[in-house]
Amino acid sequence: MMPPPTELPRPRALLAEITYRCPLQCPYCSNPLELARYKSELDTATWVRVFEQAAELGVAQLHLSGGEPLVRRDILDLCRVARDCGLYSNLSTGATVADAKMIERLREAGLDHLQVSLLDTEPESNDRLAGAPSYDRKRDAVLTAKRIGFPVTLNVVLHRHNLERIGEVIDTAFAWGVDRLELANTQYTGWAFRNRAALMPTRAQVERARRVVDEKLAASTGRLDVVHVLPDYFEEFPKACLHGWGMVFMAVAPDGAALPCQTAREIPGLEFPNVRDSSLEEIWFRSDVFQRFRGTDWLPEPCRSCDRREIDFGGCRCQAYLMTGDATATDPVCHLSPQHHLIAEALAEAEKPAPPLAFRVMRT
Amino acid sequence: MTRDGGIRRPVLAPHTRYRWDKVRKEHQLVFPEEMMLLNEPSAAIVKLCDGRSLEEIVAALKEMFPGAEPEDDVREFLGQLAERGLVNDAAAD
Ligand SMILES: C[S@@+](CC[C@H](N)C(=O)[O-])C[C@H]1O[C@@H](n2cnc3c(N)ncnc32)[C@H](O)[C@@H]1O
Ligand code: SF4
Ligand code: SF4
Repeated sequence: MMPPPTELPRPRALLAEITYRCPLQCPYCSNPLELARYKSELDTATWVRVFEQAAELGVAQLHLSGGEPLVRRDILDLCRVARDCGLYSNLSTGATVADAKMIERLREAGLDHLQVSLLDTEPESNDRLAGAPSYDRKRDAVLTAKRIGFPVTLNVVLHRHNLERIGEVIDTAFAWGVDRLELANTQYTGWAFRNRAALMPTRAQVERARRVVDEKLAASTGRLDVVHVLPDYFEEFPKACLHGWGMVFMAVAPDGAALPCQTAREIPGLEFPNVRDSSLEEIWFRSDVFQRFRGTDWLPEPCRSCDRREIDFGGCRCQAYLMTGDATATDPVCHLSPQHHLIAEALAEAEKPAPPLAFRVMRT
Repeated sequence: MTRDGGIRRPVLAPHTRYRWDKVRKEHQLVFPEEMMLLNEPSAAIVKLCDGRSLEEIVAALKEMFPGAEPEDDVREFLGQLAERGLVNDAAAD
């Protein structure tokens, strides 16, 4: 094979979505709507090969996720392999299938970091949103992990039904002794896009939340790394989605499809190479789909002649497609986008009463 | 813990890890979702954040980089890391 082109960046992070199976039904889940289509999962040997190839390619961080990664019986083996490859490993879990023993074993297997998602600080609301009783297990998992010295991130996805309690979320993070708190406003892809009108907070809620976070953190003296991801619909410019397509990030879906972004499958007309057939190196450097929106050459106007094109690369491709029907359009979040009115319309929707939530299900 | 850089015994927060990247030949401070690339002096500082005192770190750096007066830079850099929760003060326990 030809040597890799030296002018291209190498990936720094790999998201391994090892399964889409999950006992919970979060209505904001970023997983694809057509979950059943991707049911044929890679076997252990293939994941091992993928992790080894990733490390050789320059990946430093491995993010084990899904779905619920702890439903895979080989999860401990996969953690051991990640350690042996020198990867910094993180595992994201809904924590309902993790008893204390499992958490200890994960640590022993070399997992560097555990990320637990919580849906709300009010137990009834958490359980209603998750579609199953889960608050107590999530809390116990966090407390067990901290007791054995596991670094833990608490992740709370924020939306109209829990944003009022953002202050309590911060209190909970301190009370449970986590190291890191992700206040992650819902990104509207997958099930979240389907539920957008029901999840989108009002502008008043967002502004209040921002104030509460600032005040709380200014007043706190504890140790907590807080990452506050603001909802981009309320911003002037789009996010530099994943630091640009094919620049630092790669995802592998449960069925082995290699994706430049975990939600890229929402964009029709793209073909995704599979790790069963090609090496990560070939996929990263040579596949059409990783080249498709790499860099700035493909950009449309107004991005092409904009000073910010190297900063945000025109924003998120999945969002551009979902909102405008055209994946090559400027992200409509940008106030310079000719289709920015779509955002204003979505925000206006949020000022109306919320429609019912559709819970995540795997139709078979 | 102090957030103004007045840290006394800096130790790396449990969720961070120093890592030498063999492929790119670079020093990294890795933590979930992000990483910080370190130059030689910053990498040296990070590797010394094992609970020893700030004075000891400065002394060790002076030995590694003869002629350097690293104290202000060390304070500033550690202050930034502490601000982000990437370094804690063992003396605050
Ligand atoms: C898709 S989940 C998979 C792992 C595991 N089932 C869990 O929920 O933690 C990965 C992470 O993304 C978060 N997440 C899910 N949907 C999201 C969305 N639409 N916007 C932002 N974060 C989301 C979850 O809270 C979790 O921390
Ligand atoms: S976000 Fe919720 S539904 Fe989606 S995979 Fe995680 S726990 Fe399951
Ligand atoms: S016009 Fe394009 S490049 Fe400029 S800020 Fe908007 S999205 Fe970014």
